[in-house]
Amino acid sequence: MSLLRLVSLVAALGALAGCAHRPPPVQPWQREYLAKRAMRFDADPQEDRFRQHWLGAREGSDLGYGSPGGGCGCN
Amino acid sequence: MLVVCAEARAEDYVSVRGAYYRETSTRVIQPMVEVERDSPGQGVDVTAHYLVDAITSASASAGVGVDSLFTEIRNDVGLAIRKRWERTDASIGYRYSSESDYWSHSFGGSVDHRFWGDTAQLSLALGVNLDSLTARGRTPYCAAAGSFSCSLDGYYGGLTYTQVWSPVLITQVSGESLFLDGFQGNVYRSVPNFGYERLPSERLRLAASGRVAYYMPSMSTGIQFQYRYYHDLWPGSSPSGSDPWNINGHTFELRVSHEIARDFEVRLSYRQYFQDSASFWCDALVRTDCYGQGAIWYSTDPKLGSMHTEYPEVKVFWEAERLANVPVLRWFARGTFEISYGVYFQSTGFGDAKLLQAGYRMPY
Repeated sequence: MSLLRLVSLVAALGALAGCAHRPPPVQPWQREYLAKRAMRFDADPQEDRFRQHWLGAREGSDLGYGSPGGGCGCN
Repeated sequence: MLVVCAEARAEDYVSVRGAYYRETSTRVIQPMVEVERDSPGQGVDVTAHYLVDAITSASASAGVGVDSLFTEIRNDVGLAIRKRWERTDASIGYRYSSESDYWSHSFGGSVDHRFWGDTAQLSLALGVNLDSLTARGRTPYCAAAGSFSCSLDGYYGGLTYTQVWSPVLITQVSGESLFLDGFQGNVYRSVPNFGYERLPSERLRLAASGRVAYYMPSMSTGIQFQYRYYHDLWPGSSPSGSDPWNINGHTFELRVSHEIARDFEVRLSYRQYFQDSASFWCDALVRTDCYGQGAIWYSTDPKLGSMHTEYPEVKVFWEAERLANVPVLRWFARGTFEISYGVYFQSTGFGDAKLLQAGYRMPY
């Protein structure tokens, strides 16, 4: 591992560890808007599953929806 | 968004859904049902799904070189179990998909850990795919001696980090990889002067993506943007001496959601995708001699060439509370209806497609 990568890794871990000692940016009572459907990245897994199915059959870059594609059978 | 909603989402529900995909040479109808049952006291959720694909195509090679109409039915079942602790979730799942000539077993597991006051989450997912396939009426060339089927194994790994920055801003970055080993083509698709297509048997697919979501309370509007970069390669030294894959893909997607009323929401989305071609690929349907006589790999699969697609879509959600006082229909009052329509513009020979999806989800 190059020195640059090692330094980057240590810096990233340090930043994460530092989070534990800082107050979180949002308190539980401030999450009204974050809970809305429009703010959720995983709001509809079924929609994502169907999307992966047809995009995987039509585009060359399947992958990227959180699971392996398997079973399409539509290569 | 697991960071915020891990507890809120723990509910029993049943969801039914239908999707219709229409393209010049292909139709897909997909009904689906999904059920989730939670056990809050023990922190265990169980989710099961079942779906059917009815795929009617003008050609077994899916879109090019029209032969005859055929219809294929695919059954897909899955079961996932999730255990929740105060700051950590762990899930395992299994999925089985079956067609007359293609069978797939998928095993997966994931661990999510929340920290920094539940405003940050790190997720690790791992999975294995074990697929086998054959050709109707003959033994495909890829079958091992003494066997009638070919295999395709996949090994998946993904890491995702999600961070809430403010009451209206959240971001997510992720990296994923999938190593494929086995037959990756279509056993029915052929190449002029060569016969059935042959594709490289090993492929490492890599993807990195970033997402941001921002909410504007004064306008009751939320915006999501995603960028995804994809690259694939042959890991190590390939038989041809150079990397046969080397596809680069770029995806941009914007979603704007607006609450028109307390129970009615509209989402507009627009997706754009660019891709360059695999190194070994050339368009043999346009120039039949583009593969040299000594070619190891050859294919006419349009999705391995350079392409550009666009997908605008409109989707509406309706919380059906107003049905509470309507005879018979009041049974649907606790749930949410959704319907979407989109047009998928493709630069390839598949032509443009239209998609209609409708669903209903009800807690119980």
